[in-house]
Amino acid sequence: MLVRRCVAGDAAAWEEIVQTYNRRIYNICYRFAGSADDAEDLAQEVFIKMYRTLASYDSSKGAFITWVTTITRNLLVDHFRKTKNDRITDSLDAASSAHEDAQPLSEQIQDQSAPPDARVRGREVGETVHAALAKLSPELREAVILRDLQDFDYREIATVLKVPEGTVKSRINRGRAELARLLQRTYKQVI
Amino acid sequence: MPDKTSNGMQCHEFDGLVSDALDGALTGSRLEGFQAHARGCSVCGPLFAEVQAGRNWLKNLTEVEPPVSLVTNILASTTGVDTQRLRANVSSQSLSQPSRVSFRPSWWERAQAWASGAIEPIWGTVRQPRFAMSFGMAFFSLSVALSVLGVKPADLRSVSLRPAAIRHTYYNTQARVVRYYDNIKLVYEVQAAVRMLKRNTEPSEAAPAKKDHKNDTTQQPEQKQDRNYSQNENHLILACAPLGPSVFDSLNQDPLNPDLPVVSVTTYRRFV
Repeated sequence: MLVRRCVAGDAAAWEEIVQTYNRRIYNICYRFAGSADDAEDLAQEVFIKMYRTLASYDSSKGAFITWVTTITRNLLVDHFRKTKNDRITDSLDAASSAHEDAQPLSEQIQDQSAPPDARVRGREVGETVHAALAKLSPELREAVILRDLQDFDYREIATVLKVPEGTVKSRINRGRAELARLLQRTYKQVI
Repeated sequence: MPDKTSNGMQCHEFDGLVSDALDGALTGSRLEGFQAHARGCSVCGPLFAEVQAGRNWLKNLTEVEPPVSLVTNILASTTGVDTQRLRANVSSQSLSQPSRVSFRPSWWERAQAWASGAIEPIWGTVRQPRFAMSFGMAFFSLSVALSVLGVKPADLRSVSLRPAAIRHTYYNTQARVVRYYDNIKLVYEVQAAVRMLKRNTEPSEAAPAKKDHKNDTTQQPEQKQDRNYSQNENHLILACAPLGPSVFDSLNQDPLNPDLPVVSVTTYRRFV
């Protein structure tokens, strides 16, 4: 087993783990944190933490990917709590600028001319959805990311988030509905 | 959510089935009941539409490519392996199609990684504040003790390590410590008190009987103490021997030895 080899000191095994999971972890971090720089730092932190605690992984308690995702999620929540003050400041700044001369997201998109290329347009839609996802509360966001972007099943999500499956389903549905409402307001005039 | 019944299904029941309905897990009469409730209920119908729309929006989000340096940075920060070969692999990976990095660290890199892995826990423990405080206090105590003992770091340069010099230093230090100890007032007072206590507890010795000159009617002259004087005129008396070995030792030596360090004085005493 890869983990056992890695715990035994096999550098190649650790490298294989990094190669296998770096994409998935980076994507979770990117979708949760919202910024590529933060995602890179967070993904690196996840692997450092994983490297230090790899010996504590117990295969009888669950799949390795669930364990990895739990570490990622815990680190993201910690990061969210640490940067809470920064976000409050940012939102205050945004509010003041919005009050003066800035425009809300929907109006910003409205002003933009529709891109002729469908691929460019698709990329912009993706960026808007990504921005809307960042506006969800962390509880709803993490549930939606794990279900709709990472294709985890409800039981795995319940294990990672340490909540019952019913709560997971409820959070996913609330998150989707909230996202739809945000995007509906944003995209009603654009599309 | 208001809990009303519509088409044989309550709203909370409907809410619990939304995920299953979107995943296609509902079949038969349960699916029909769900759809009927969605059509009939003014709250659950729009809610289901929103959930469905949100899910569709999320399909626009595709997986993003992590930075090419991510793997290099992770390996460098975990195993400490960061070599030119790995960088070259990463740069080629960024230029061409992504491929597996077939990196095998050399024995020197492995040894470095092992050494850092072995030292890191110890260093991590030492860096803890409580240990740092302990080391600081130990250093402070040592420096205070050295300054009290009169040891200066500048003096260490002129310290001779010859055995004779070390012995000399040892005796000097011992003498200094004894002098210091004897000069402590408290010690002196305690010693005096002990001496006094001992003197008081010991039984008093009988005083030597004094000769009563007043009642002496024999008219005999007082006998003098002649013990230290020779009864024989030819008897040699050695008055002093201030230096060198003892007088009696020198007497046992060869009398012809001219280096005899004895000053001899011969006296003749006449008895009246």
